[in-house]
Formats: sequence, structure tokens, C-alpha cells
Amino acid sequence: MGQPENVAKFIERARSVQTTVTVVSGLAAAFDYAVDLTLKQGGKNIAAPAIRGENLVLLESICQKNNLMLLTRNLREQIGMIGTGLTMADWGIAQTGTLVVNCESEDLRIATMLSETHIAMLPKYRIEADTAALEVELAAMMKTAPCYLAFISGASRTADIERVMTIGVHGPQELHVLILEEDGL
Amino acid sequence: MIKTPHNLKEYKKDLKRALGNSFLSATLDSFASAYPASRANAFAGIDFDALASEIARAKDESISKIEELLEEFTARAQEAGAVVHLARTAFEANSIIAAIAEENGVKRIVKGKSMTAEETFLNDFLERAGYEVTETDLGEWIIQLRGEGPSHMVMPAIHLSRREVAELFNKVTGESLDPDDITGMVKLARRELRRKFVEADMGISGANFAIAESGTIGLVTNEGNGRLVTTLPRVHVALVGVDKLVPDLKSALRILTALPRNATGQLISTYVTWITGPTECKSSPDSRKRMHIVFLDNGRLALAKDPVLSSALRCIRCGACANVCPIYKLVGGHNYGHVYIGAIGLILTYFYHGRRNARTIVKNCLNCQACKSVCPAAIDLPHLIKEVHRTVLKVEGKRPPKNVLLKNVLQNRRLFHFLLRRASFAQKPFSEGEYLRHLPFLFSEEHNFRRLPAIARVPLRDMWERINPRVKNPRFRVAFFGGCLVDFVYPEQGRALLKICADHDVQVDYPMDQTCCGLPAQMTGEKETARDIAVQNITAMDPAEYDYILTMCASCGSHLKENYVKLLSAEPALAVKASQLKDKVIDFSSFMIKVLKISPGDFFAGAGCKAAYHSPCHLCRGQRVTKEPRELLSAAGLEYVATKDEDVCCGFGGSFSIDFPEISAELLKRKLDRVEAAGVEMLVTDCPGCVLQLRGGMEKRGGRIKVKHIAEIVAERMRNDDDKKNQG
Ligand code: SF4
Ligand code: SF4
Repeated sequence: MGQPENVAKFIERARSVQTTVTVVSGLAAAFDYAVDLTLKQGGKNIAAPAIRGENLVLLESICQKNNLMLLTRNLREQIGMIGTGLTMADWGIAQTGTLVVNCESEDLRIATMLSETHIAMLPKYRIEADTAALEVELAAMMKTAPCYLAFISGASRTADIERVMTIGVHGPQELHVLILEEDGL
Repeated sequence: MIKTPHNLKEYKKDLKRALGNSFLSATLDSFASAYPASRANAFAGIDFDALASEIARAKDESISKIEELLEEFTARAQEAGAVVHLARTAFEANSIIAAIAEENGVKRIVKGKSMTAEETFLNDFLERAGYEVTETDLGEWIIQLRGEGPSHMVMPAIHLSRREVAELFNKVTGESLDPDDITGMVKLARRELRRKFVEADMGISGANFAIAESGTIGLVTNEGNGRLVTTLPRVHVALVGVDKLVPDLKSALRILTALPRNATGQLISTYVTWITGPTECKSSPDSRKRMHIVFLDNGRLALAKDPVLSSALRCIRCGACANVCPIYKLVGGHNYGHVYIGAIGLILTYFYHGRRNARTIVKNCLNCQACKSVCPAAIDLPHLIKEVHRTVLKVEGKRPPKNVLLKNVLQNRRLFHFLLRRASFAQKPFSEGEYLRHLPFLFSEEHNFRRLPAIARVPLRDMWERINPRVKNPRFRVAFFGGCLVDFVYPEQGRALLKICADHDVQVDYPMDQTCCGLPAQMTGEKETARDIAVQNITAMDPAEYDYILTMCASCGSHLKENYVKLLSAEPALAVKASQLKDKVIDFSSFMIKVLKISPGDFFAGAGCKAAYHSPCHLCRGQRVTKEPRELLSAAGLEYVATKDEDVCCGFGGSFSIDFPEISAELLKRKLDRVEAAGVEMLVTDCPGCVLQLRGGMEKRGGRIKVKHIAEIVAERMRNDDDKKNQG
């Protein structure tokens, strides 16, 4: 689990599908990254529906300091206006640079697919070699209805006009993965 | 509305138009050139053949218990809160979906990409019922706006240029767009479709998988519209062919390993979404989505019971069989399928969209095997195409004169050979050296794209005793299967073989009762004739009497190996012989390299000329022989120059070129252009059929490159024992 070779492969593969990957020490550093990026892109808010407890308090204070609105629920009302979606991935799959996100919650789905930029945090120890290594866990999740499980590998893309690859057709225009050395603050 | 020609005359008009479309030709050509490399890259480190046979095995198992899987899926999905329907027909599926819409007070519908919905013409149905339906996959949206069907299963709008898309968007939105700004066009689609997503009451998706053990559907997309269609509207309907049922996640993941790699050369598609039961949906009064899964039968459950054709249900809709098809590449998807496109389209059209739509397009196959070699479900596509063709002929009870002729002549070897000899005599005043001066009466001007060879004055079988030396202590006993072309048109190729064999102490027999291999009968859908001929040949050369059965014709070789076993599988004693035959048939190059272990020492020293190689379909794919001919060329001292697409069909395809001369001519032209551009002096191949096509084409265009069967050049350059003694 979280074997260095898996982490290295995850990074390589994710980058090959235009994902920006950065290794950060923990949640606090990840929040700083999210805020900086949002500001740089001229975003007005961060949607983080699945952050709770003391983590949320911290994120709230950083956002406040930087004049960013923090959105945590009823994201449907914000569709079209969400700058950054900040979420936690359940697993990473090294072989294909894929994030596995269990997103039964509607808000979580909206944050991952209807933000301009999606930032996914991924604890290092949750990176596995391939789907085979996760088969038992994934099958169990699918059997626990309702379940909406997403494999995300890179940003939304199309090649439907003259086979020219173009990023950002429906979903986020950018996908950033922050690999967390520690999953605490 | 999709219109597929019901007769050859109309079809040929469409083909002609497509062949004249330079954008289509350039775009499909560049796609076909880029595809093999990206596919190979994506499969690096994966044993494709092993994966394909594993998928085939698992799919066959699922297909055999499809009704049980459906039951299990239904139970699990209902437990999870979804409603599951089974629609026996396309009309029933459409009606069920319209009823769901009505029940839920739906007005606007957004759709994700689904070939199954294309199959049932769901959009037309719902629109007629008064619903607004918007396709949200970019390619699908484009063709919906144009009122067309998809021209490829994965890239539905591949036939359109950026200019055409820009004009279309301009017409629809009133915005003027720079056709070179593809990003701008994609942004416009994003904006327009985003609005549709938010307003929609119902989302319709397809599914790539339906997992029975958990009642889960799996969706594979790149754009992400599949996730939006299943998230934003309060009702979700998935329309799923029952063939998408798999027992468990493991089976789905196995298919997922192959699907994106084979479809687009990606390791995985951007979004793979797994949904079990209705999920949270805040636009629904109780915050729960309404989820319906509509399974479509439409003939699948009956097809599942067919011992041969059921393998068509293994298809995972990757589109690769179109990507590599030389005909698709020339004429595009709208001329190569009805709704389903490519090799699998020729087959499925018959089952899902009827005989009249299938009857003409199903003839348009070269049997080049390119599709079969890339199918991740190991479907023997060319074989199934022939089966469908045969069924259509049978059902319609109208055999074309060509078929009747073939049947009557081929079944009777004496008559067949008598006619060939007569033809040789009768053609005398019309031949000019080795070519015919005029085309025979069966042919028209459009067949005049290559010169046809004259039939030999003395066929190989008549000179055999005279030219075949007795070998004292033979190392191997070999039966030579000549095939019609070597026997009656190119006996010199057989002579070349004998020269080599005599020098290597190989005794070669020519069993005189052998006849045509029967492939022409099989190709025209005359399976019974093909079966009878197979029996004649197996009786003429009992494989148990020989070490090898050698043939210099790639098509005969692959037919003897592959199809005899299939043709005779139901006849116990013959099936054994067919399988022995399969093990003993060998092609010329493999015999030279693997059996006789020919090496550079066997040839005269000194540089031979520069030679290109054309890899015959039935050798490189039909018999999977690729290394040996090239090795043999180098051993013989020729400078082998690799050329682009050397394994793409030359367009001969036996009698194919009689029905579709325009396609045959275009494939030949491209092949010869490439060879000429390579600056070689010789073009070598190892099939007399390819020699006929390539040499006739080269002669017609007045080219100076010599076209030879590999045996001829090997025999020319090989030293015999005397030479070796003299030269040391
Ligand atoms: S038949 Fe095979 S190659 Fe063709 S689309 Fe289906 S799975 Fe792909
Ligand atoms: S055998 Fe060749 S011509 Fe026929 S469908 Fe397959 S790829 Fe196309």
C-alpha cells in the first residue's frame, strides 16, 4: 500500500493525461494550494462539500482571509458559478493514474464535475497498483446501494471535431491531484 | 433518417460519391495511420491475444446464461430501488421510455451516448411524442443537429470537417465561428449543453456494463456528459442491450482493460461511472432520483442460442473493426453499416435492422481479416459476415448467376479443369504474351484497372510428371497444394518450388484429384459447395500420408487451415482429417525458414536488388506468418525496404473485385503508389492472388517495378549443389 513505485507510477500516468500532480505534506498545505490556485484563476469560491470538523474550520478561516466564499451544500443552486471543487478521493490507481471517488452525495458529484477546476486530495497510502488490487473493496461498495462510484482519469476531453483532442468539454477544465503525505492537518 | 441502399446499383452510386470525397478519404486515412501505433502503445505489456480469448470465453459464458444474469440483475437492482424493464422489441423499449417520461411529467430530456438508443431510433420516437431531446455527447449532438446517424460507433462525427461543424453551429446559434478555432467550438457546445443539463427533467444513458451480482450499471465516457446525464435530471433511464450483462465486477474490469485501449488508444477513458440504485437528487421532491433500467432484447435472446452467430453478442462496441477495415477507410461509416458501423455493423444490421438493409452492404467485405485481428472479443468477423451473407441469399432464394456458376463448376473438378483448359485454348487470339488483350465478356470497363493474366498454355498438373524429379532419400514427403492460380495461371511459381525442393532432398507429390480450395464458394456464401470441395480435397490428399502439405497461395493455405475444420466440424471422421490437415498445412516461407532452415549460405553472394514486400492478408493474419518471409528475403540477399501499410489488403479479395472493382482499384492504387515512392526495383509477395492483382496493376500503369512471388526470387538466387561445389 502506498508503495513508492505505485506512487511514482500514479504520478507519471496521471500527468500523461494532463492531470497536475503535486505532493504536499498534509491537509493544511492542500488548503493553501487550493486557495492560491483559485485566486490565481480568478475564481470566487471553493466548493468543499465533504470536508468536516476541524478541517472545515481551518479551510473556512483560510477562505475568509482571502475573500473566497466557501460552499458546502446545495451546490445545485451554484451550477455555472463554482470556481474550484475541493474533494477527497477514496483511492488512487497507479496503473492508469485514476482517482476513485465514491460520490453518492449530489453535492460531491457537482463539486467534482461542475467546477471549473477540480482539486482532489489523495492520501498517499491510498494509492494501489491497479483495479485488481481494489476489486474486493469496489465490489463491496457497489453492493451497498445506493452507490455512485466514479473513476476519474484526467480532465474532461473530446476529440469529436476532426479528432483534435480538446480539454474541458463538459466537466472541469483542469484536474489537480494533491498527494497527501499525511491525511491529517 | 438513415438510408442504406437495398440494391447494388444504388450502393455503387453511394460508394462512388464517397470515393470522390477527398476530405473523408484524407481524414480516415490519417486516422487509420495513427491508430495502430496508439493502440500498440496502449497495450504495451499486455498480452492482447490472451486477453481477447479470456474476454471471449467469459462473454460466451455470460451469453449462454443471459436469462439467469438478467434475473439476478433485476433482483439486485430492484432491491436497490431501481425499476427494471425488459423490452422485447425496439418499439417496446421506446414505448416504455416514453411512458416513464409521461408518468414523471417530463418535458425535456438529455441523452448520453448510446448505440442502443441509436438502434431503436429512440430520439425520433420521443420527439414525435412531443419531448425535447438533446444529445450531449459532442459528436452525437453534431449529428443530431444535422439529422444524421453516426458514422463511427466511438467517433460519430468523424466524417465531418471543422468547417462543416462551424457552419452548423453558426446556423443553430447564430454565432459566427472560426472553423480553425476548435476550442472555441467546443466551448460553445459546453455552454449550450450546460443549459440543457440544468433544465432537463430526465436523463437517458446507455451502459457499457450491467453487473448482475450488484445490479450496477457501468458507463465509460471521455467527455463526462454521462455523469451529468445521470446526476442532474430527476429521472434517469438507462437503455441497455441484454448482451451487456456480466456476472461480476471482475468481468467488467476485464472488458474495461480492453475497451479504451482498443477504441481510442487510451489506458482508460476519463470517466468510468458505476451506479447502483437511485442516488441522491435534490431536484426530486423526496431528494431521491427515479431510476429505470430498460433492457433491450430485440432479437438478442434468440441470437444467443445460435451456435455460431451468438459470438456477435460478445461485441463490446470498441469500434476497432471499423478503424482497421480498408473498405471503411475508403468509403466511411455511412456506407459501411446501417446504425452499427464496421465489420460488426455488417452483421448486426441483419439482426437488428433487417435483411433489406443488410443484403447489399454485407457483400462488401474483402475477407482480409484485419477486423478479426484487432477484435478484443476475438469475434471471427469475416466468417460471421459470410454466414449472414449466406443466410440472406438463402432466405431470399435468389442466387446471383455468379453463385450458380460457381456451384455447378467448382463441385465438379473434371468439368472445372476442362473449362480452364478450354479457356486457355479459346483465349489464344486474345492474349498478348502473359496477359489478356481484352477483358473477358463478364467484365466491364470499370474492371479495367489491372491487366488480367492469360491462362497458362500447359497447367502445372499436366507438366508435373515431366518436371518433378524423383528424390532418392527424401528428408520429407510433402504434398503440394497448388490452388487454381498456381496450377492454371502461374505454373512457373510451382516450378520454382520444385527446383528448390529437389536441391534440398524433398520429395513433392501433386495429388491429382485436388481441386480449387473452395474459398471462392465460401466467399460468395455457398457454404454447401465449399463443404463438398473440402471433402474432395481431403480425400485427394490424406494428411496422414505426408509430413507437410505445402501451399504457395496464402488464401488457399488459410482456408485449408481455418475453414475446413469449421466446414466439417459436424462430421466426425472428416473433422479428424480436417484437423490433421490444419496441423500439416504450411506456407512457402515458413517451410523454407523453419523446416529447410535456409540461410544466407544457400544463396549466391552479391547484393540483390531493393525489394518491397506485400504481406498477404491470409498469410500475415490468416496464418500469422510475418517474420519468415522477411527473413527469407534478407537471406536471399535482397535489400528489404519496409513500406507503409504493407499488411493492408491489395484489394484482390478473390471475386470481390468483380462486384466492387472501384474499391479494389483504389486499394491497389494506394498500394502501388507507396511501393513506387519507396524507390525499389521489385515487389515481392507470397500469394499468387496478390501477384495477379499487383502485377496486373503495375503493368496497367506502365510501372517498371517487377512483381514476383517470393518462391521465384528465392529459386533464382539459390545456389544448387553444383554451384556450391564450384564456388566452394
Ligand atoms: S466486433 Fe470486436 S472490434 Fe468490432 S466493435 Fe465489437 S468488440 Fe470492437
Ligand atoms: S475482413 Fe477486411 S474488408 Fe471485411 S470487414 Fe473485416 S476488415 Fe473489412
